Amino acid sequence: MALFEAHHLQKRFGDQVVLEDITMSFEANRLSGIMGPNGAGKTTCFNVLTGRYRPSRGKVLFDGEDITGLPPRTIARKGIARSFQTMNLFDEFTALDNAILALPEVRAKGFNVFHDLAANSEAQDRAAQVLARVGLHGREHVQASDMAYGERRALEIGIAVAADPRLLFLDEPTAGLGSDATAGLAELIQELRRSTTIVVIEHDMRFLFGLADFIYVVHWGQVIAEGAPDLLQQNEWVQNSSLGAIRTIGESELA
Amino acid sequence: MSVAQSDKAGGLRRWVSLPILFSFAVFGTMPLWIETVGLYQYIGLEIVIWVIFALGFNLLLGYTGLPSFGHGAFLGIGAYAFGVTQFHVVDNLWLSLLGAILVTALLGGVTALFISHRRGIYYALMTIAFGQIFFFIAGKWTSVTGGEDGLLNIQRLPVELGVVSLDIDDVRALAWFAFACYAVIVILLWRLVNSPFGKTLKAIKQNESRVSFLGYNVVLLKWAAFTISCGVAGLAGALFAMAQQGAYIQIMSLQWSGTIVLITLIGGGFVSFWGPVVGVILYFVARDVLGAYTETWLLWFGLMFMIVVMFKPDGVAGIWVDLGKRLKREPAPKPATLPAE
Amino acid sequence: MDLLYSLIPHLLNSIALGLLFALVALGFMLIIGVMEVINLAHGSFFALGAYFALAVIAPDGGLPFEFMQPFYDLPDWPRYIIALFVAPVFVALAGMVLELCLRRTYGADPLYGLLLTFGAALVIEELIREVWGSSEYYLPVPRDISGGFIAGDLIYSTYRIYAAVFACGMIGLLWLFLNRTPYGAVIKAGAHDSEMVRALGYNLSRLRLLVFGFGCALAGIAGIIMAPIWGIRPVVGVDAVIPAFIVIVLGGVGSFWGAVSAGLMVGLVVGMTAAFATDWSLLSMYLLLLLVVTFRARGLAGKASVLER
Repeated sequence: MALFEAHHLQKRFGDQVVLEDITMSFEANRLSGIMGPNGAGKTTCFNVLTGRYRPSRGKVLFDGEDITGLPPRTIARKGIARSFQTMNLFDEFTALDNAILALPEVRAKGFNVFHDLAANSEAQDRAAQVLARVGLHGREHVQASDMAYGERRALEIGIAVAADPRLLFLDEPTAGLGSDATAGLAELIQELRRSTTIVVIEHDMRFLFGLADFIYVVHWGQVIAEGAPDLLQQNEWVQNSSLGAIRTIGESELA
Repeated sequence: MSVAQSDKAGGLRRWVSLPILFSFAVFGTMPLWIETVGLYQYIGLEIVIWVIFALGFNLLLGYTGLPSFGHGAFLGIGAYAFGVTQFHVVDNLWLSLLGAILVTALLGGVTALFISHRRGIYYALMTIAFGQIFFFIAGKWTSVTGGEDGLLNIQRLPVELGVVSLDIDDVRALAWFAFACYAVIVILLWRLVNSPFGKTLKAIKQNESRVSFLGYNVVLLKWAAFTISCGVAGLAGALFAMAQQGAYIQIMSLQWSGTIVLITLIGGGFVSFWGPVVGVILYFVARDVLGAYTETWLLWFGLMFMIVVMFKPDGVAGIWVDLGKRLKREPAPKPATLPAE
Repeated sequence: MDLLYSLIPHLLNSIALGLLFALVALGFMLIIGVMEVINLAHGSFFALGAYFALAVIAPDGGLPFEFMQPFYDLPDWPRYIIALFVAPVFVALAGMVLELCLRRTYGADPLYGLLLTFGAALVIEELIREVWGSSEYYLPVPRDISGGFIAGDLIYSTYRIYAAVFACGMIGLLWLFLNRTPYGAVIKAGAHDSEMVRALGYNLSRLRLLVFGFGCALAGIAGIIMAPIWGIRPVVGVDAVIPAFIVIVLGGVGSFWGAVSAGLMVGLVVGMTAAFATDWSLLSMYLLLLLVVTFRARGLAGKASVLER
């Protein structure tokens, strides 16, 4: 059984059906990708998978357990973390504090008013380690709002990583990044995948084809194709669809 | 293994800070010098009481970012509960205080059940509605609250300390007692905002949905912040009832609740723990000093407030914080506390 | 049957009240729609409208008597109608001054806009006390629309029927303005798309200035109409702005007919409790709010809005 499975998810807003019928499964210790053109329902799909929206129909299983419709905090406590496409940081906090708050051991002390966070060197060390992992070494004490765009992107991922998740969802991590930064991000994700199961949403196909073990293509609220990147190249549907461009980009990249 | 220096210092530093000691030095000696600076004992007492209230309120407003426009109601509930306990239950100071705190926290907790899943203007609106309901009940429930006349003859009960019993009937003595309450509350609140709980409240203010995606129970945290601030309001209300020797409905009005928000923010509650303290002092001194020259001092205070919001929205404490930043210039990034490998 | 029959005057009064609440709420909503500002001073403009009208109509209304005397010799209708036009214009001007102050808070936390308008409410109320004092005034109205008449066995208040008809007319005109004029369309598109407003060739700052003034003027007009019913006091604005708030939450931001129907609902609840359980009239609308909002988190219309930020 896969670590995470979604069966026949449907999502409607009023009379508008955004997700028709989505079935996906993400194997443990793999990097899976979800791609599709803008407006294809990728982000809605992600929001349903991570508990922000309740699906109108269908089931979500994590490690065999039904987590459909659970609130985000419960899903987070089960070991699923996510980053956001639009930056979702604690702007008034330093990078270190952003990461500290995400640590499960700090969360466990939630109502312990005798605990002094400023004196908790273990938590600080753990958070600093996470920041170093996402390339923010030496930037621990900079306020999030004072950071450069790329750094904020890294911190966005850092917060999700600090939660020490079993499954990490990344929502368009390359959004707004230049090619150098994108290459750096690919390296970071390569490093993260060694210890974590990851699902990435992207519209940057070159980026995703270079990283993923398995890819779902979402269009018109449905999964229109799925498979390993090299197999997906051959898929007739993908070639004929508006995503046919993948082929040329993908081939040159993977050749 | 690395151990941060502050770990050892723990102990006392965990509970008090330099500004707290400074505030003790000021408020603790205030009854001694307040008359020599041209003010009078009662205003000192009022300031300390409102500081207690505003510090508790700022846990909600400044730290959690929840604009309650009905908080005056809980101050009033504390005052009535204090009177009712001493009249009908037991005329012991400690038990009456406890009664005031518990009743206020309880009613606050029930109110919070209805509003804690909300935020922003909806939150403000719901707190207005609840504040008005309590205001209305206090006005109509004459047998308990005295209605429009107020609950009169509330006693300044003596402080029983086992062997000795201290009389606080005199304003100056009551001011010392209020200071003692302030000392306890400020230490507790300071501890609270520096615990993971306080940090999470601050995070909720900045980005509520992210906090819930990190696995925190946001609604419960918001509920707790409201209830705690109501408990503090209950204590302040009890002290206010003693100061006024009665409990009156005016402090529960919408106008007062709004003024409390104004006081907290003009001092800089959004950026500093001490903002509400500055705001309260500013308000009461302005009332007395401006009030001595002009009947319409509230007009000038309102204008001052508008100017602060327009040009320095972080309030007086914001100016202080900016000054501090400028003096320190760009703080050199501290070496990260990475474990030695 | 008799009971139902005797309800009719109360029903009419409630409808008049509800339509005026709706009028205040609609002005409030226009401001939220275009500026995303919760105007806590809205009630103050309501009060200002009443005071300005008082100053124009009544010899004891604050203007120098000698200067105004020829005007006061006019018959009551022309005086009243002039007041009905002049007072809202001055209210709009006062609103525009506030909008200029508000500009510094655009783009910041919406709480700051809220606070600035709260400060403004304080200032306006104190200014009113300074000029007119704290005592209560009554706004004289033309004899034709004051007093009451008897139909069947029941006494009806002529003025309240006039108020209901007037408010209906205003709401109708407002609807026509918003739906049948290009400027109305831009206002409806509002803040959701400031880019679009610019692309259509409208000056956003001027639009904001005008809409804020216009919204305040609507409150001022409602204040004039309400004045003979409620009396004129410095704090009268609070009695108007709170129901308007509640109307907005019940009806949903951005819904014109939502606001009108919620206004009628609040008017009925307040009016009926005032008639049969006077003590409860203050409380009833809050209970209505809690009831509706507890079961329908976003009010009757159920749309997400700026109120939740």
